[in-house]
Amino acid sequence: MPSIGHYFAEIDDLTPNLYICRLTLMKTPRLSPQTLLVLERFLERPRAWRYGYDLSRETGLKSGTLYPILMRLAKYDFLETKWVATEDGVPPRHTYRLTPRGIELARVEQPISRVAARVRRVAFSGGKA
Amino acid sequence: MTLGTLPRRLAVFLLESAISIAPSDAADWGQAMMGELTQFESDWSALLWSFGGAGVLAKHAIVAIVFPRRNRPVPSGGSLFSKAGLMRKTALYATVSCMLASLLFFLVPVFREAFHVSLAQWHDVLHVSPVGNLRSDPGLESLGRKAEQNQDAEALAFVAVRTLNKSESARLADDAVRLDPTLTWVYGVVAVDWSSFPALDRWAPALERFDPQNALPHLIAAERIDIDYEERGLVPHSVDEEPAAWKDAMAAAFRSPKLDTYSKQLDELTRRVALRYKINDPFHFVLDYRWHAVPTFAATDSARYAESLFAAAEAREARGDYKSAFENYSTVVRFAEIMRENGSYPMARRLHEAFLRLGSLSEKEGNHQQAQLYAFLAGTADWEWNERMAFLRTSPEVVSRWSAFLARVCGIALLLSGTAFLVCVTSLVVRRRSLRLAALQPKGMTLAFGLASTVTALLSSAMLYVSYRPYAEVVQRFIRTGDESQLPAVSEFLAYAQIPLGTGRNLGWGLSAQEVTFYFWLAVAGLCVLTLLLAVWRFWRRPRGNATT
Repeated sequence: MPSIGHYFAEIDDLTPNLYICRLTLMKTPRLSPQTLLVLERFLERPRAWRYGYDLSRETGLKSGTLYPILMRLAKYDFLETKWVATEDGVPPRHTYRLTPRGIELARVEQPISRVAARVRRVAFSGGKA
Repeated sequence: MTLGTLPRRLAVFLLESAISIAPSDAADWGQAMMGELTQFESDWSALLWSFGGAGVLAKHAIVAIVFPRRNRPVPSGGSLFSKAGLMRKTALYATVSCMLASLLFFLVPVFREAFHVSLAQWHDVLHVSPVGNLRSDPGLESLGRKAEQNQDAEALAFVAVRTLNKSESARLADDAVRLDPTLTWVYGVVAVDWSSFPALDRWAPALERFDPQNALPHLIAAERIDIDYEERGLVPHSVDEEPAAWKDAMAAAFRSPKLDTYSKQLDELTRRVALRYKINDPFHFVLDYRWHAVPTFAATDSARYAESLFAAAEAREARGDYKSAFENYSTVVRFAEIMRENGSYPMARRLHEAFLRLGSLSEKEGNHQQAQLYAFLAGTADWEWNERMAFLRTSPEVVSRWSAFLARVCGIALLLSGTAFLVCVTSLVVRRRSLRLAALQPKGMTLAFGLASTVTALLSSAMLYVSYRPYAEVVQRFIRTGDESQLPAVSEFLAYAQIPLGTGRNLGWGLSAQEVTFYFWLAVAGLCVLTLLLAVWRFWRRPRGNATT
């Protein structure tokens, strides 16, 4: 069973990434668990264009939660957007994908969030995780 | 997509409306949400989607008003400008509407009274008077002047029993009785309120002649003697040390068949004068200091005199003079009963004791039936006393207290919001150097501040009206029908309404009224200093012209 020190060692390994992340986060929104969830979905197919409806279904987030996240990510250039024309009489659809900066953020954030979650789990279960 | 169904139409309508008010940077996102509606198979899911989206856009619209971004690109007359203008115009209309609605409340007389009541808490804070100087009442002074001009005896009496100036009260009472001798009872009311002043020597006999069966003039005379003795440092330690005049006065009081404090006459007079002069100040209808309406010393004087009667009766009992002892005890019972009929309970314990002693005496005489009756009456007197105490301990003043608290909070909120609104308007006029509405064009923050203050003013006005209205109805019912049953609640309400918010008695923060006064003036002084410093700073930072040409 890995000890709690093991996880701190894992955090130490991530220090360069954390440094990058801190630099990045100086001009980024605070990343909530929901944002991390959205980033995780984007990271599955980093260069694919995604629709709001699909993201909502995959993450389980409602429009009132999902769109503010997308708006913030786009505002800080972590997300690029594009309008896709559809058939006549049907409104065009907005699609999204991570920018290279967004991919970097998502890749840095995902392990941190996972490690932090694991550290928390170990800490609160008395090192029995 | 089936746009024909009602939920779908509603979903589209919601998003379209939200897009119409959203700032330009959020409007595209609204279109994005709209584009996704087609993907939903369930109409209700689509509607929920649009609810969430509309909420997001509405939030952005509000944020755009409150924090207009300085670097937002200025459009060249496109849709963005019209949307921002629309929001701004809507906010402006809402501000003006709320302010007008708040002002409309002032057209309602009951609201004006409520506002007056809500300001009562500031009186002692703003009018810092030397210790012992009671506050004056301009409304009452004005009524007094009118009454003197009209030679209206009843109105003079109305003012006499309410004014907080002792000599003025005595003078007006004398004038009222001179004009209408049937108002001699006013002497009794004023004398009870003020206890000791030279005119009492004249008033007590006049009142006795006016109402010979009443114990009140004798109690007033006894109190006058008590106060004179105390002022001279002669405090009698027992009834035997009391002067003969005091003993005579108390004996006469205990012999009197009734005790009338003239509450009914006073209520009737209040109603008539209120109708005649259209008086609507609620403070003029409750005389909360008239709790017992008997002289302050009456309770202790009566108890002490009753004890002396008990002592005398015991001595007579010891001598076997049961008849005289019985008379003494009966005298105490009779006086305690007339006190109780008047609503005063200072003799309740003595009444209980007198019945017990009468029962004991009856037992000695072998009259067991009568002894049982007295024992029963003693028990009843005791029960009544306990009930009275329980009633006083659990008096239903909670509602009045909370209503008064609400009134005070609303009063302060109204003042603050009114001030904030005035500051907004003034700063706008000063900045734009114009009084034309079209030229004002408030900035987002000013508009938001103005809107918030007027909404607060409107809500406070409504809440103040609602919290005061029941008490206004009680007062009106009293004027119309003479029903005084609910007046104690009004009295409680008004008593609490006068306590500055945050001070000692309940619902406060443990500060005394003096502390609040101190902190208030400290804050005012602090603000003045801050303003002065700001003015000096602005003066030094002002652009200076070049002296050399």
